[in-house]
Amino acid sequence: MKNWALIVAAVAAAVAWMQPAVAHHSFAAQYDATKHVELKGVVTKVEWTNPHARFYIDEKNDKGDVTSWNFEMASPNVLLRNGWKRTSLKIGDMVTVTGFVARVGPPAGPKMAIAESLTAADGTKMFASSATDLSR
Amino acid sequence: MISRTAAFILVVISLLGAMPVGAQTRLGGSIRANPPSGPVPRLPDGKPDMSGVWLGGLPVGDISTALPKGESMPIRPEWKKKMDGFQANDDPQAHCLPLPPPRFTPYPWRMVVTSTHTFFLYEMYDYRQVFMDGRKHPIGDDLDPTWKGHSIGRWEGDTLVIDTVGYNDKTWFDNKGWPHSDKMHLTERYTRTDLGTMKVEMTIDDPVAYTRPFTVTGAARLMPKEELVEYICNENNQDAPYLQGAKP
Repeated sequence: MKNWALIVAAVAAAVAWMQPAVAHHSFAAQYDATKHVELKGVVTKVEWTNPHARFYIDEKNDKGDVTSWNFEMASPNVLLRNGWKRTSLKIGDMVTVTGFVARVGPPAGPKMAIAESLTAADGTKMFASSATDLSR
Repeated sequence: MISRTAAFILVVISLLGAMPVGAQTRLGGSIRANPPSGPVPRLPDGKPDMSGVWLGGLPVGDISTALPKGESMPIRPEWKKKMDGFQANDDPQAHCLPLPPPRFTPYPWRMVVTSTHTFFLYEMYDYRQVFMDGRKHPIGDDLDPTWKGHSIGRWEGDTLVIDTVGYNDKTWFDNKGWPHSDKMHLTERYTRTDLGTMKVEMTIDDPVAYTRPFTVTGAARLMPKEELVEYICNENNQDAPYLQGAKP
């Protein structure tokens, strides 16, 4: 039986990997699965929009240099169905986010990325995107 | 044993292909909950009540997984070549363009059947109208090629049959990008088999792009407590300019 479980797990993993992103666009076409980031910053803007909700943060490093990021999340319909309200994330909130950087982004302005996980300052984990947004 | 293993793997793949990946995530609805069970609800005239919010229908990723066992897509070589050349940025979905059947999305849809029309309301992100008044398709120059085509519907017993022609050739069947020509003739068959299940069967007859008609089948499930959520795709589509490379 153990073998069956292994086969199922392997196939599921393979299929999840092969499955193109079903939510609006392909992950692999836009994001680089080898460029994983984890960073902490202050929310400067929230866009409750389609095809994807987005939040923008300013990340400050030890030297005080600020990098601005534009993080894609799932779409509002999916966020709502996973416990969000439009007001769940506010300007000024400190968050920790993990995600993947875009292969190519705008030449200027915040760096583009997709959020994989989002954690509020009090440790609350917030849904950010689905496996389908992140399949790769 | 090997064939049993292979069969089992195929079942797993087809199941995964037919539902959104990420079972713990709610994309369109409560995908982990069992569909409600019970008899087919009926209207006073005896017809099945097709109303409600439904999730699914055919695989989002690749409709060839919904072909009968052992079949493959009878695509003509020149069309396969065209498909193989598609880039990620060519997907109509990436540009918020229509996704009519046989394409389905991970999000719910609603069917409203009246004596004169059937309307489909798709959360992602459009409507369709089907004429139920017995009219025929326009012919010749009166049949304009459109994204969703010209649809006429009728009942065959408990099955709602929708016949559509007059497509443009810009839509895809799924995320994989199976294409079609503007000569596609689509026959959709919707049968509510119980309270929670809508059987979906689609026959695609496109002699330009495919060597023979073929039929794909699947099922949608009722989402009893779900409502459609507004999805205005074009309001902030920042992705399209940055999609790179071929379709996965």
